[in-house]
Amino acid sequence: MGILSVITFLPLLGALLLNLIPSSKTSTVKWAALGWSLGVFAVSLTLLKDFSSNTFHFQFTENIEWMKGMGIAYRMGIDGISFWLVLLTTFLTAISIWFSFYVNDRVKQYFVWIFVLETAMLGVFCSLDMVLFYSFFEASLIPMYFLISIWGGARRAYASKKFFIYTFAGSIFMLLGMITLASLHQKATGTLSFSIIDIQAQVANGKLWAGAFQLQAWLFWSFAVAFLVKCPAFPFHTWLPDAHVEAPTAGSIILAGVLLKMGTYGFLRFVMPLFPDVIPTMAPYVMTLAVIGIIYGAIVAAIQPDLKKLIAYSSVAHMGFVLVGLFSLNHTGMLGGTYQQLNHGISTGALFLLVGLIYERRHTRMFTEFGGLKAQMPIYATIFLIVMLSSVGLPGTNGFIGEFMALMGAFESSFAGAYGLNLGLAVIAACGVILAAVYLLYMFMQVFYGPNNNPENQRLKDIKPWEIAISGILVVFIFWGGIYPNTFLKPMEASIGAARLMAVSPAGNRPSWAESDHEIDAKMNLVYAPNRDGSKITEPLKGNEAVLTPANLHFPVKQATNLEANLSR
Amino acid sequence: MEGNQSFNLIWLVLGFPLFGFLIQSLLGKRIEKAFGRRVAGFLAVIPIVAAFGVAVLLTKQLAGMDATQRAEVGVVQTLFSWIKIASINIPFEVRIDTLSMTMVLIITGIGSLIHLYATGYMAEEKDYTRFFTYLNLFIAAMLILVLGNNLALLFIGWEGVGVCSYLLIGFWYKDLANSRAANKAFIVNRIGDVGLTVGMFLLVVLLAGNKDKLGIDGASGRWLSYDVMLPHLGELLKGNPGMTTAIALCLFVGACGKSAQFPLYLWLPDAMAGPTPVSALIHAATMVTSGIVLLNRMNIVFQMSPVASAIVCIVGAFTALFAALIAFGQTDIKKVLAYSTVSQLGFMFMACGAGAYWVGMFHVTTHAFFKALLFLGSGAVIHAMAHNQDMRNYGKLFKYIPITAVTMFIGYFAIAGIPGLSGFFSKEAILGYALANDHAQISGVNFSYIVGWVGLGVAMLTAFYMTRMTLLTFNGKTEQWRSIEPHHHDEHDHAHDDHGHHDHAHHAHEDHGPDEHGFFYTDEELAAQPHEHEHHHDLDKNHTPHEVPVSMWVPLVVLGVLSAGGGYVLANNHLFEHWLYPNGLSVLKELEEHPHHLPGGLSLMAYSIIAAGLGIVFGAIIYFRGLPKKEGWDESKWSPFRRAARDQFGYDNAMVSASVDGGRDLATFSWRGLDATVIDGAVNGSGWLATGIGKVLGWLQNGFIRAYAAGMLLGGVAILGYLAYALFTGVKK
Repeated sequence: MGILSVITFLPLLGALLLNLIPSSKTSTVKWAALGWSLGVFAVSLTLLKDFSSNTFHFQFTENIEWMKGMGIAYRMGIDGISFWLVLLTTFLTAISIWFSFYVNDRVKQYFVWIFVLETAMLGVFCSLDMVLFYSFFEASLIPMYFLISIWGGARRAYASKKFFIYTFAGSIFMLLGMITLASLHQKATGTLSFSIIDIQAQVANGKLWAGAFQLQAWLFWSFAVAFLVKCPAFPFHTWLPDAHVEAPTAGSIILAGVLLKMGTYGFLRFVMPLFPDVIPTMAPYVMTLAVIGIIYGAIVAAIQPDLKKLIAYSSVAHMGFVLVGLFSLNHTGMLGGTYQQLNHGISTGALFLLVGLIYERRHTRMFTEFGGLKAQMPIYATIFLIVMLSSVGLPGTNGFIGEFMALMGAFESSFAGAYGLNLGLAVIAACGVILAAVYLLYMFMQVFYGPNNNPENQRLKDIKPWEIAISGILVVFIFWGGIYPNTFLKPMEASIGAARLMAVSPAGNRPSWAESDHEIDAKMNLVYAPNRDGSKITEPLKGNEAVLTPANLHFPVKQATNLEANLSR
Repeated sequence: MEGNQSFNLIWLVLGFPLFGFLIQSLLGKRIEKAFGRRVAGFLAVIPIVAAFGVAVLLTKQLAGMDATQRAEVGVVQTLFSWIKIASINIPFEVRIDTLSMTMVLIITGIGSLIHLYATGYMAEEKDYTRFFTYLNLFIAAMLILVLGNNLALLFIGWEGVGVCSYLLIGFWYKDLANSRAANKAFIVNRIGDVGLTVGMFLLVVLLAGNKDKLGIDGASGRWLSYDVMLPHLGELLKGNPGMTTAIALCLFVGACGKSAQFPLYLWLPDAMAGPTPVSALIHAATMVTSGIVLLNRMNIVFQMSPVASAIVCIVGAFTALFAALIAFGQTDIKKVLAYSTVSQLGFMFMACGAGAYWVGMFHVTTHAFFKALLFLGSGAVIHAMAHNQDMRNYGKLFKYIPITAVTMFIGYFAIAGIPGLSGFFSKEAILGYALANDHAQISGVNFSYIVGWVGLGVAMLTAFYMTRMTLLTFNGKTEQWRSIEPHHHDEHDHAHDDHGHHDHAHHAHEDHGPDEHGFFYTDEELAAQPHEHEHHHDLDKNHTPHEVPVSMWVPLVVLGVLSAGGGYVLANNHLFEHWLYPNGLSVLKELEEHPHHLPGGLSLMAYSIIAAGLGIVFGAIIYFRGLPKKEGWDESKWSPFRRAARDQFGYDNAMVSASVDGGRDLATFSWRGLDATVIDGAVNGSGWLATGIGKVLGWLQNGFIRAYAAGMLLGGVAILGYLAYALFTGVKK
């Protein structure tokens, strides 16, 4: 069993083992859950040791026969895109379990569902087989559904159903799309395969879509809708505020921190590499939705009376920046968008955590109940301030880097007139950072500034040492990500560069993934032309090599093939 | 670390304030408790003074270098890679040249004086170390802004000083009005910041897109670094006036935000809610001049764009005039100074628009001297007057606070443009360049010349309203505060309220049951807490003003000397001009310093002296005997002009209601209308689906099958998959 399987299924094992502890011993259950989740995090950290930043190919791959006749196999592997998401998942799960010491109702069941959820999330990020991916993708709904519907707030029944139906309805089309892709692969090669490595290889050489070009746009949307719902992008976002408001704190942290990333991850893993001929045509549409989401989410966030609802709508805006970056189809932009995923996970996770801290004390999240908390809880106020500013995107915090790079990419692409992107859209997206300051500063003022008039707040003590520790860890990452982002950017870069070239290069020039570890050395690696170390490339490139050169980093490699050109062929 | 080793000390200049910030933020409270307030304050002042000392050493070293080489190369030092990816590389690198070192000297020099002043001014403040935490952080951020060798690093400082400004404006956060002012400052600045960001993106597009053509070292990816960007911009922008003007205007939008120009000046008057040392340091001497620094740094773009330069001129002149008029309607001494700052910043932009970038910096420097002096002086007055800021309560203060009064008169003469004092030289240079040149043109209209005359008029107004402020404060025939009746009921009310609250809290708390987590203070703990009663001594007729302590008047005297002599020293022999631009400008080589033919055959100097003289004389006639009746407490008796000026001619109200109320309406419509009705309506419309699946899930939840739910779903997927597979293979055959 490979390391990825170990990491993925360790939480599930933890869920099973938790059942050995009697339900009445809640304290033991909590400590055991925390210990186990930290253990999972520790195991996932071992990936750091052997992960190579120099390749875009999948690493730590596993391939076990499953349903051979149907081309379905147990295929696991991670690249630079999923690497940090795996670590983010194990990290945020440990954080939310730590916070969940405040849960007192059906404690054991609660932690069992969280562990099941963790396995599902890790599975999503590690699987390289579409059926496996889909199974984990759908499986993540169930624990989340129960976390909301059992431990949620007053309108939990409505919220959990809405959450389930929205995402389930979105992804059902994706399933059909996956099956079509597999059969197209069979048409192209004679064998049925659900492996994205196999399928992308046929996309790269142009065979897969050769006879079925019209299908490509339809399949693009069958995947895109599933992921847009998950992100969530306007107008598929209305499940999110309800789900967040009703979810318990840990649920909100995981929902915002990891579950939303499945959407943007899906774009990078499936949509970009598999539908390259329509990507340039469709990019403006996705970009438009993303920009609407940035503005719309921010405007609606500005009048929310409930802290969690405000942060939920802010997520719509922030994930809009991720999509803007990804669909700029520019190296800087895509890297920025991908990085912004992580930052959003840390910052918004931290915001939900901090709201959870005050909710445990006051059992309310309404602005009107608060005011003047800074004098009462100075440490809490300071941590909140830092996290709030990182969400605003202040330079020096992680939030800035992602937004800055994503917007820069959008400007580069749209200024060059590439992919039909519009400079106006990029400018509007940039204006979104003003609105972020509006609603977040307003929120901070309402809660922390002014006189402390509410008698219920006048007895509040500052947060406890362990609460400072748990939120302090997140603050460390906020500054780390803002001051030395290279730690996080470097491992992603090769994979993002390849994903971009897969999406924008014409057939035949697209890079493709190696099928096994042995092949990587022989086949190809992403080459950084003169940029990286100053060395010039002297040898001619082999057929399938992917090169990031200064020339193709900023602007399209060639004007990518568009839909009409192909249709008329 | 790379770069010229001999300038390694620059990291100390950056490091000291940052170290001071860490000490204050992490240990400040403990130091204050263990060693007293003086030590804590001392530890905040020392790093800034030390940074100033090192900066002086480095400047001497720089001055000793060959001027040509110094100007062309700049000494770049790199600490680490901030953002380094294949497509762009933004190192953490600083640039030591005459522009950056000039600003470093102003920031650390005036910063030291103001820190020292603040140890006295804030001595009674409860949150003493929090204040110095923010202040030290501000210095560090401001230094990054001016020292950074690329626009992204400038942007760190740019937003960093913005945050410090936000925190300091809202320093007394218990009053929501202060927090609102802080929010306004940050948000309005963000509008400017977006402009700056877009400008940066356009520059990246331009450089990265043309690197092959120009042979720019593509390997570096340092598109935003000045040493890569600036030498090529002239060539790149040539023949592309649209792009040039776009970039220039984007940068100028950023400058308008930070340097409080119309239409974004709105935040600066409100920023006076912060403690007075903050107003002096951040909102007068340093942060608000960042826009001028930016225009100097990127002057090549503005040299290439006459249109953008004309817009800079127009905006600067309009702002100068508009703010000067508003100043006449202000009764709060700090508000007068705030509008005066906005107005003077307008002068600086006029200079930059006319192409005289060094003059913009010259006025930054002299303005830093006399405006810091005036603000600190006003702080001393406010300190002496029990924190009352309304000039209608002042009068005849000269005899109570003579040191403050004398130094403030020097500042007043300097800003009014009395010959020989610092303000005279810089203002004279601004008007001279504006009237003599024709760089700032739009379709043949020479806006530079027009704004030169506007500037002369504003100079008259400046002398006028500054006379008003000074005379109302120090002169007049009555001590106005003598008519305020003492009142004590406030304190009583307060005590009563406190009692009520505690009582209330007790009951409310018990409703929630036992506090098992220890979230709340018990009655005993609450009783054991020290009761901090803030003793507010209100201004009343028994008040006797006292001169400020030595830590506060020493900075006043130093600044007084600088305000008096600084202009002459810097202007003499073109010292400042040759220091900043030893080889002149690259494009506008033929800039004239003095206008040749002014109407009436008078020289510009004669005109300026007449303007300043008229302003002072008008002011003296009206205000020498104290507050005129029709400017008194009954504001309905004010002249319509003065009332309109008080309300910023309606501009602030219009903007606030348009953005806040309009925004709220739009948001309500989006949320209640679009989100809840249209989108969710569509979702809930498929309610049968919801109910159906809900029932299935409800059944799952109730039964013991729950644990198998995941398994079932996987099974379902497999079956679906098989069916679809069969279907597709069938179709294919």
